[in-house]
Amino acid sequence: MSEKPSVLVIGGGIAGIQASLDLAGRGFQVYVLEETPTIGGRMAQLDKTFPTMDCSICILAPKMMECYRHPNIKLLTYSQLKEVKGAVGNFRVKIHQKPRYVDGTKCTGCGVCAEHCPVEVPNEFDMGLGMRKAIYMPMPQAVPRLMTVDKENCIECKLCTKMCRAGAVDFQQQPQDIDLKVGAIIIATGFDQYDPSEIVEYGYKKNKNVLTALEFERWVCASGPVAGHLLRPADGGIPKRIAFIQCVGSRSSKLGAPFCSSVCCMYATKEALIIREHTPDVQVYIFYNELRAFGKGFQEFVNRAKSEYGVKYIRSRPGEIREDYGKSLTIWYDDTLTREIKSLEDVDLVVLCPALFPREGNRKLAGILGIELDNCGFFKVVHPLLAPVDTTVPGIYVCGYCQSPKDIPDSVAQASAAAARAAEALTLVQVQSME
Amino acid sequence: MLSEYEPRIVGFLCNWCGYAGADLAGTSRLSYPTNIRIIRVMCSGRVEPVFILSAFENGADGVLVAGCHPGDCHYRSGNQHAEKRIEKTKKLLDLLGIGSDRLRLEWISAAEGEKFASVIKDFTEKLRVKGPSPLGKEPKRALQPSVKEPIHDILKRTKALYCQECGKCSSSCPITRLDPAYSPRLAVEKALMGLEDAVLTDKGLWSCLTCYLCRQRCPLDIEYDELIKTCRAKATASGIAGNCSHEGVLYSLSRLMSNSETSQNRMDWIAQGVEIGKSGDVLYFVGCLPYFNVVFDDINVKHIEIAQSMLKILNAAGIKPALLENERCCGHDLSFAGDRESFERLARMNVAAINETHASTVVTTCPECYRTLKTDYAELVGQPEFEVMHASEFLTNLIEAGKIKFPGKLGMKVTYQDPCRLGRHMGVYDPPRKVIASIPGVELVDMQRSRESALCCGVSAWMGCGRHSKQMQIERLTEAKGTAADLLVTACPKCQIHLNCALSEKLPVKKEEVAIETCDLSVLVARALNQTQPLNMVEMNKK
Repeated sequence: MSEKPSVLVIGGGIAGIQASLDLAGRGFQVYVLEETPTIGGRMAQLDKTFPTMDCSICILAPKMMECYRHPNIKLLTYSQLKEVKGAVGNFRVKIHQKPRYVDGTKCTGCGVCAEHCPVEVPNEFDMGLGMRKAIYMPMPQAVPRLMTVDKENCIECKLCTKMCRAGAVDFQQQPQDIDLKVGAIIIATGFDQYDPSEIVEYGYKKNKNVLTALEFERWVCASGPVAGHLLRPADGGIPKRIAFIQCVGSRSSKLGAPFCSSVCCMYATKEALIIREHTPDVQVYIFYNELRAFGKGFQEFVNRAKSEYGVKYIRSRPGEIREDYGKSLTIWYDDTLTREIKSLEDVDLVVLCPALFPREGNRKLAGILGIELDNCGFFKVVHPLLAPVDTTVPGIYVCGYCQSPKDIPDSVAQASAAAARAAEALTLVQVQSME
Repeated sequence: MLSEYEPRIVGFLCNWCGYAGADLAGTSRLSYPTNIRIIRVMCSGRVEPVFILSAFENGADGVLVAGCHPGDCHYRSGNQHAEKRIEKTKKLLDLLGIGSDRLRLEWISAAEGEKFASVIKDFTEKLRVKGPSPLGKEPKRALQPSVKEPIHDILKRTKALYCQECGKCSSSCPITRLDPAYSPRLAVEKALMGLEDAVLTDKGLWSCLTCYLCRQRCPLDIEYDELIKTCRAKATASGIAGNCSHEGVLYSLSRLMSNSETSQNRMDWIAQGVEIGKSGDVLYFVGCLPYFNVVFDDINVKHIEIAQSMLKILNAAGIKPALLENERCCGHDLSFAGDRESFERLARMNVAAINETHASTVVTTCPECYRTLKTDYAELVGQPEFEVMHASEFLTNLIEAGKIKFPGKLGMKVTYQDPCRLGRHMGVYDPPRKVIASIPGVELVDMQRSRESALCCGVSAWMGCGRHSKQMQIERLTEAKGTAADLLVTACPKCQIHLNCALSEKLPVKKEEVAIETCDLSVLVARALNQTQPLNMVEMNKK
């Protein structure tokens, strides 16, 4: 045996991180491929997690650092998969790494360059609510802790080059093609959020006081655009009434996705609790359809939201949100339990819980990998019950939301499962080559 | 064969004069032809146009209405009312090609037995000479074919089976908001529980506007409009009928047009010097405008102006459109009222007539004709050989191609009412706006509820115009007024009828809160084509 058997993990979110740590711990070499400049994924954007109300980044950041420091893990951030050839035990992979225009060996992540950069653009990490510079670090806990130049928006004034004391900014950097040989591949590309602006009756993007759930996570997060103060986005006032609307685009055959996103009922409850803990006199309403509190401790969590926090649950998908001339919002709904058409007035902030669906890029990825997607865009597995992480090609495994809708604990459990299956395949290949 | 022909006359006689006169003729043993069948009514003013049309629909050759002499009415002015109505009905009979001379209004007092006998004699003779009704002897109203599709299959086809009962439809429905007894969700719920009788006998079945707002918003795209249409057909087949406004006169007109022997006389409105053809590339489908012009002559709208304007515009763009001399109602209203049988006959006859002209494009000024010709006919008789375009789409193309040029400026602010059939049903939101925006000096301001969220004008398919319709119309007019526009532009003759109807009535709000001039899109364009100076109307409004 000449070289250490290795695995490529596509996606640096919590599922990818977990799978990588599991495999690295067993002595395999792991390459983590991440499209953005930092690993961490969606979980890094969340304020807290349900049902334990842990600070999300506080429990994630140590794992991200562990990935970074692990001798068996190599992070390939800001990179994309270009080509895959071969079969289980012997995949030859080509990766395209975009230039950061920052020398990774010199940059200390001090951020002086960003302080001086004159260009401001909406910050993707804050869902476009806050601003970042053209040279930036997506979030304070970014791993690797490196600055990145966003070439699309950079005006090349080179102020950053001048200000950097480490001399790390390097505009000569070129894109790199990296060739790897891996025995197995794990896919963990996570999800995208549906853009509810086509559901015109909810006024998303027309009305500043209508946010999506991920936007709201950033809005109330201490590291977010308003440093975690609970404010009304349009005018910065203190909200008195906040409403959540479930199933915006999910369980819908027309727009969004036909399936249930599986996490919205619970994260809405969590966000309701965050609001009440933050500003106890805010009234919180959750418009739900079927309250899906199916996991361990979930129903208890909802019960607590009702009893201790006074969150009001209303079974309805509201018909429309109307704006009273730039001020508060009125929600028209059919209280389906009492069969009354009602309106909830003077709502300051509405949080839409949109469908979460597999990433757009999965189709391209599946093409490169030669595997199949189902008609919703999730990666197909050999058997949904008995082989839930095996894709249609041996040696390629899948875990997390890109396999089916699931929350963090399930994604982590499935990541470990995928890691175990990958380890099994690698061991088998090793044994065969010894024979 | 003519010798065998005996005219059939239906007589509506007023209880106090006409009927008493007939009685006197009888007791005086005066002889008169036996061709009349008498129906006693309390007053000649009670005779609705639809009574007369129904008589013809059912095989009458002539209709006599007899009332008290002017000044003698038992109810003071009922006979004056009758006179107006008969005049209107005569116009309709002329349009339908039945002929106004088959309808006769006579003043016969209780003492005029002789007059009664001589009127009958004279009328019978005249009808004998004139010949039988062109509609044929036998009533053409066939029984409705029963809808065999079981309710479960209807639910599956319209996707109502997958309803999540989330209430998005009911909280969007403009009717439910005013009348909680009806709700699209509860209707679906009843159907899902298999309560077919409850669904079909529910009054709410006829309250739905099929305005498509619920379907637009339903996350599952449940086809409520189709569900309602099918349930109405099912109900109609089992003898349950909806509550038609205008006493059903508009349905009766449509049904009369569905008679294959009807040969209309509907081209009188075409102005001198207008160029039209019998065949051609472009066909203008006029719709029921000549009839609306008569039926709705009392609400300050000249409907035929829409058609006249359209011809003017087409000629100005160098197009000589073909017109159908015997164009029939598209059948939209009958289809939405559950009368499938008549609808299908109308569809087949219209498609055949259009095909004869070899037109490649059919232009309509009515969104209901547009929807029906474009989608409903295609479903019934297959994809037609012609393309159907709403005037707004056709005009947009003409304007973009530079074929329509406006000589002057209008100088006004307008707002636009999205018709349900054009907007939500067919997805045409931008063309009318483009046409308006292309007129120099016209500023378009949208109402708060516009495009996909536009509020319906309150009535559809002439179904049940009531308190809620009026309330919606007031709401809509208030909203239009709130934009500070000088003019409310509609692209549907019926929106204009309904909104103007509200304006011509006594309303529970102050007139100045709702009063706004309405105007059809093609009329606006035609005015702009004539315009070299700002409109008088705008100046008047400003004064």
